[in-house]
Amino acid sequence: MLKVSQIRKQYSTVVAVDGVSLEARRGEILGLLGPNGAGKTTTIRMILNIIHPDTGTITYDGLPFNEAVRNVIGYLPEERGLYRKNKLLNAIMYFASLRGIASDEAKRRAYDWLKRFDLLNYYDRKIEELSKGNQQKVGFIISVLHDPQLVILDEPFSGLDPINQIMLKDILLELKRQGKAVIFSTHQMDHAEKLCDTICLINTGKVVLEGSLQEIKSRYGKNTIQIIYDGDGSFMPTLPGVKTAHVYENYAELVLNSTNHQSQLLVEIAQKLDVKKFEKVEPSLNAIFLELVGADKKSQMKNGDIL
Amino acid sequence: MFVVARWEYVEKIKSKAFIISIVLIPVIMLAMGVVPGLLASRPDTDSRKIGVFDKTAELFHPLQEYLDKRFKLPDGKPNYLLIPLADTVNSVKEGKNLADALVMAGDIEGYVIIPKTIMTDSSIEYRSENVGNIRVTDRLTGAIRYLVVQHKLHERGIDPVFAKELTSPLEMKTIKLSKTGEEESGFAQVFFTAYVFMMMLLFLVMTSGQLLVRSMLEEKSNRVVEVLVSSCSPTDLMAGKILGLSGLGLTQMGIWAIIGIAISLKFGITLIALPSALLLLVYFILGYLLYAGIFVTVGAPVSTEQEAQQITSYLTIILVLPVALALPVMQNPNSSLVTILTYFPLMTPTMMAMRIPINMPSAGEIIATIALLVVSAAGVIWAAGKIFRAAILVYGKRPTIPELFRFLRA
Repeated sequence: MLKVSQIRKQYSTVVAVDGVSLEARRGEILGLLGPNGAGKTTTIRMILNIIHPDTGTITYDGLPFNEAVRNVIGYLPEERGLYRKNKLLNAIMYFASLRGIASDEAKRRAYDWLKRFDLLNYYDRKIEELSKGNQQKVGFIISVLHDPQLVILDEPFSGLDPINQIMLKDILLELKRQGKAVIFSTHQMDHAEKLCDTICLINTGKVVLEGSLQEIKSRYGKNTIQIIYDGDGSFMPTLPGVKTAHVYENYAELVLNSTNHQSQLLVEIAQKLDVKKFEKVEPSLNAIFLELVGADKKSQMKNGDIL
Repeated sequence: MFVVARWEYVEKIKSKAFIISIVLIPVIMLAMGVVPGLLASRPDTDSRKIGVFDKTAELFHPLQEYLDKRFKLPDGKPNYLLIPLADTVNSVKEGKNLADALVMAGDIEGYVIIPKTIMTDSSIEYRSENVGNIRVTDRLTGAIRYLVVQHKLHERGIDPVFAKELTSPLEMKTIKLSKTGEEESGFAQVFFTAYVFMMMLLFLVMTSGQLLVRSMLEEKSNRVVEVLVSSCSPTDLMAGKILGLSGLGLTQMGIWAIIGIAISLKFGITLIALPSALLLLVYFILGYLLYAGIFVTVGAPVSTEQEAQQITSYLTIILVLPVALALPVMQNPNSSLVTILTYFPLMTPTMMAMRIPINMPSAGEIIATIALLVVSAAGVIWAAGKIFRAAILVYGKRPTIPELFRFLRA
């Protein structure tokens, strides 16, 4: 569906995107991950042909961008991208007409979506009177109303309450079942973990990790231990054989150097803590993210100290 | 493109601000023109008491007679009651002090001192709390001058009627010649036509230019623009905007023009011949497009309300400049400086607006200026498209001039 190869974009002195390649396939959800300012939005804008890459190519079903491609893509920008003063239905109809949808057809589709999102009562309200979450839903409706084959959502979950987050997840999975290609960006790893078939992790403009979620997790091996406990777990990062540790209040994830010393480790921990669960698991995406991005941040800081 | 145009037009025309401005602006303009006049010309309702020190001892009564005859209150009473004042026995100064006290106490409006030497040095003094009441001072000086002149004429034995004949002003009737025949038309009328045209262009550019910048700013600040340019091409978006908002401005103008024409027909004023009007319309539209392009070019990179205001006010200054030049241009429409200014695209429409009603320029010149306008409007809109495309997505910081040039080459 979409193939991005080696795109690069430089703003005066800052390289926002540096050689990013990715691929979105029909019937798959691609998660575009990365910390704030990593270059996710710039990448998306280049895919949408809003800005041009300095170098690199982007093809849609093997063809370069053309006017017909516009209508194949649906886009929800990060900050909703809605008019404030206009009435909800009018705004939806306007964007539909920009896409060339006949007005009665557009009305029918808008009605279906509004009903689904529980927004029917608001159709005659001004958009600014809606809550942030509801505005987000309106933005989403606008992005899919023309039945695009490629749906690109920039931080679609921000501002949604848990119930609506679940609803949106269901809809994304539905789009996937319909054979659409979906790309969404987020910095919340749990969303990506539950939804994505493939991920593309970007940091400081570069792809640091790319591939199918399954493959990535197994690549990071089975040397992660999940512990649920009571007590003060702050000593765990200093235990022998522990490579990295993410210690939370009653929960910790330890990444070990090898898988050989697990029972020994359990004994040591059990001496100090009331262990409720001790399990060997695949690493969470969050842990991978922290490891890759965090390590980079640290080395950057070190370099900064030396310079 | 037409979808965008319709949206901009329909959504804005429904807004309260637009409806209010349609009604309010003419009302304000009318008020500015008429109310001060009404206030100033409102007749007095009570007689005003004016003290008079008549050192000549012969002007008091004629002055009262003259004022009584000329200025009456609506109810027939005299408008001005003169109170004779005299020097006290002791000194001139004491008399003045007493009179000043009367003024301060509000017994008299003010008082006038007519010195003995009035016949030779023609100077009088008026003392009052309020010397800003021009009507009183004008009428008093007028009356006293008349009396002095009469007195002098009488002394020399000249017949006052003959004197009046001597001083009667010369009247000149101006007749504008044109190919279709002679038509009577005063300078004031031509001036008025050109002025109306300029004001209309000014208003249209200001209102729709501001709308244009604002609408871009709004779409930019809530990122609607990203959705827009991912749904249609930036060129369509820009063209649609210009079209829609021009339509809006023209609707506004149209409503006012219809009202204006209705009023002028009622009062039997013919404004301008039809061919000239059509020609002016061409300049009007081309000029408008040129300015719209400029507004887009400078408005697209803007990201705050303050910047937007600054930029629109700069542009307005360029536009107002020809209005300031109006009078000298109309007095000498064929001077070479005016011709040069006509070829400065930003001024072409307004300059032509002044020249066409006064003295139709040659066909060659008209074609040349229209061509110039077309080329510059097209050029500006082309550049606007490029800059719009790039700059509308620049957030936070204003692009530098070199960056703008890079956008142009992109």
